[in-house]
Amino acid sequence: MTISVGPVSDSIASWFSLRGLPLALSEILAVLVVCVLPVVGIVFPIAGVAQYFERKIAASMQRRKGPMVGAVGIVDLVADMLLFWLPRWKRRAAARRVERLPVLGALLRQVRQWGLGSMAADGVKMFLKEDMVPGGADRFLFRGSTYLALTGAFLAFAVFPFSQWYHMGDPPVAALYLGAVTGLVAVSILEAGWSSNNKWSYFGGIRAVAMIVSYETPIALAIAIVCMWSGTMSLQGIIAAQYHPGWFSFAGWNLFQSPLLTLLAGVYYIAALAECNRAPFDLSEGESELVGGFHTEYSGLRWGLFFIAEYGDMLLVGGIFATLFLGGFQSPIGEQWIVSLPPFAEAVVHTLIAVAKALASVGFMMWIRWTLPRFRIDQVMKLAWTKLVPLALFCLFGLALTQLVAAQRVGVVQVVYGRYLSAPVVRLDLFSWFSSWVLVGGAIGVVVWMAKRAAPAQAPEMRRLLGKESA
Amino acid sequence: MNVEREGDYITLSMGPHHPATHGVLRLEVTTDGEVIRACKPDIGYLHRSIEKIGEFLEWYQFVPYTDRVDYVCSMNSNHAWVCAVETLLACSEETKLAIPERAEYIRILFAELNRISSHMVGLGSMTMDMGAFTPFLHALSQREFINDIFEKTCGARLTYNYMCVGGLVRDLHPGAEEEIRAMLKGLERAMIDFNRLISSNNIFKARLAGVAAVSAEDAVSYGLVGPNLRGSGIDFDLRRDKPYGLYGRFQFEVPVGKAYAGSEGRLGDCYDRYVVRLLEVLESIRICRQALDQMPPASGVEDDLVGGWCVAKAAQKALRKPPVGEVYFRCENPRGETGYHIVSDGTKFPYRIKIRTGSFTAMSIFEKLVPGLMIADLVALIGSFDIVLPEVDR
Repeated sequence: MTISVGPVSDSIASWFSLRGLPLALSEILAVLVVCVLPVVGIVFPIAGVAQYFERKIAASMQRRKGPMVGAVGIVDLVADMLLFWLPRWKRRAAARRVERLPVLGALLRQVRQWGLGSMAADGVKMFLKEDMVPGGADRFLFRGSTYLALTGAFLAFAVFPFSQWYHMGDPPVAALYLGAVTGLVAVSILEAGWSSNNKWSYFGGIRAVAMIVSYETPIALAIAIVCMWSGTMSLQGIIAAQYHPGWFSFAGWNLFQSPLLTLLAGVYYIAALAECNRAPFDLSEGESELVGGFHTEYSGLRWGLFFIAEYGDMLLVGGIFATLFLGGFQSPIGEQWIVSLPPFAEAVVHTLIAVAKALASVGFMMWIRWTLPRFRIDQVMKLAWTKLVPLALFCLFGLALTQLVAAQRVGVVQVVYGRYLSAPVVRLDLFSWFSSWVLVGGAIGVVVWMAKRAAPAQAPEMRRLLGKESA
Repeated sequence: MNVEREGDYITLSMGPHHPATHGVLRLEVTTDGEVIRACKPDIGYLHRSIEKIGEFLEWYQFVPYTDRVDYVCSMNSNHAWVCAVETLLACSEETKLAIPERAEYIRILFAELNRISSHMVGLGSMTMDMGAFTPFLHALSQREFINDIFEKTCGARLTYNYMCVGGLVRDLHPGAEEEIRAMLKGLERAMIDFNRLISSNNIFKARLAGVAAVSAEDAVSYGLVGPNLRGSGIDFDLRRDKPYGLYGRFQFEVPVGKAYAGSEGRLGDCYDRYVVRLLEVLESIRICRQALDQMPPASGVEDDLVGGWCVAKAAQKALRKPPVGEVYFRCENPRGETGYHIVSDGTKFPYRIKIRTGSFTAMSIFEKLVPGLMIADLVALIGSFDIVLPEVDR
């Protein structure tokens, strides 16, 4: 019997067994490394660090400096722990001496100036806070929902391809699986809202369910359309179909294949924002309306778990966005040299690229969050059902038509990408590609122009407020 | 078919500790899902009986208490109180005070600066209620610049206690004129940035357009004042229609609501009230510039410059024996008309003080306006009325 989740786990298992471990044990260890490492080694640290970066990004947008010094000076903290038998002033003096050391001191000063201590301080604070369960709460659900939130975020990483060789699994129905497990977030938020015995939490839970269930539709449509375009539901297959040999490998990305796919990427991204409860769709938190929404009653580490789940969700959504539209883990400039690397090196390089793409997406979400105000629940619903779903359907029919026409004109090809062979896909020739952009771009331009013409003229007062007209 | 059923309503206690109520306001809200069916404001959590305390203080001692009536625009509260007392003193020839012209100009300059800073708090916290935190800090940073100027002149950043019966506590600090001009220039640029960032944002507009529209009749009959009244399209501003101080000497427009939100908007909705405040900031900038231009220069003699109880013997004497009578004096504050009704029995203590404030009268319209709104709209409504709780409860 062999336990294996792919060649990376095989090679790790052989590494263990070569060093004298029993075969079964080394195989189990290898599987654990492959399955646990993405979550523990990538998602958890990023979720922790992301808060620091979010604070810095928000601060720079608000023209302030953000975290500068940790809640506790790092050196003071360490001195307090190591020299606890000394009186306080001696501990402080020792800390000051450490800070005056030539290299270490400079490093520590830098850490303080950049506010890196705040990350540790936040973590420590979260661990030390009391774990409260409000009176009258449903204790089982109240505690369970935190784990469920994490489960929803992390289960999806089971099919997430970090590289050609490094993934936990690549089932042929991975896209379907993604849609199923990301829905767990809604359940966990509803549980949290319901079990808190707090009306504000309850409202947050109800809002989240209404919103997430609505936005599953455009998300599922977007994923289905990309699957249709790539001819497969396997994420590795979708990525393989986006491979474009040569230095301009970004030209193969779905985002640039057709204007309708670009539009679809926008639809997916907006719906994904709603899916992870990020602004402008953070109605289930809505700190100015619902106090804290579904996590009003949570404290300490339980609240932190929701927090990590949120960032895990963001990372996941960014990763899926990259997989569907940005060529997954492929590098934008020249891919062939990475594919030909040995599996382990390839896994490292591709994982870094995949994480970078996901992080760029997370950064974009932060930018959006600190810019836009929040929607109202009816507007959120309206956006989903009257804008995003029709747009996605439009893309569906448009792309199906494109595929039909292109298959007749230029035929289908199978892309060979490393160890994968993509399903038969159409690759538009330059003429069809260009004419589709002209057609769709022109149509969008006409719609925008007509909307602008139909809009009433701006009041002179509003023009004055915007600085277009002086008083 | 009537699908509404009785007994499925949730009663929410919004406040007194709720982020969107801007203080200790409690609203008893009955909701049907997200839609509110009834709303009852419950006020009084911040009652400090300022009016009663005033009966045990000498006339000039009440000035710091007016700071606390509305701490967001203390300067305007000071102005209203000292104008009321000066009007009382003017009833008799013996106690009538001659207020130095420069002091009058500085009063108006500072009242308008404080109006700007108060509107910055109101507009900024409204954007925060709508979920946008960045513009809130941008607005507050402008307020800080104004506070810096106030601090240099009168030593305080929030409760100024700067005006006094007969004049001011002290003159402008040296170099204040240039500082204020530079600040106003920066403020104009910052306002354009602010408007491009948030006021013209489509989500923001959609959140406010057509929400909680107050008709002109309702606005009058429920006693709305200030920007809330003008947001409903009623062109009434005490500074222009019943000028006090030197307001008659300034050129400015009175902005009124005109359904600015476009096709979605209605006259007197939250967006109109918001835009009226934005425009008022621009008008205040104009008034400040005119005041700086017209202001007589400092003559160097403290008594001539500012007067005031601490320096002017005339005011000290007059306040010991004011004329017997009643005065009701109205001032245009950032939150609308503020009235000080004072009754004097000829002693150095007021016999009775009654303060009429805009935020308090705005409370009464909630019960009519809120049913049918959503919870998020109620937050927008509270923000657009720009209520300040100490002014409600006093």
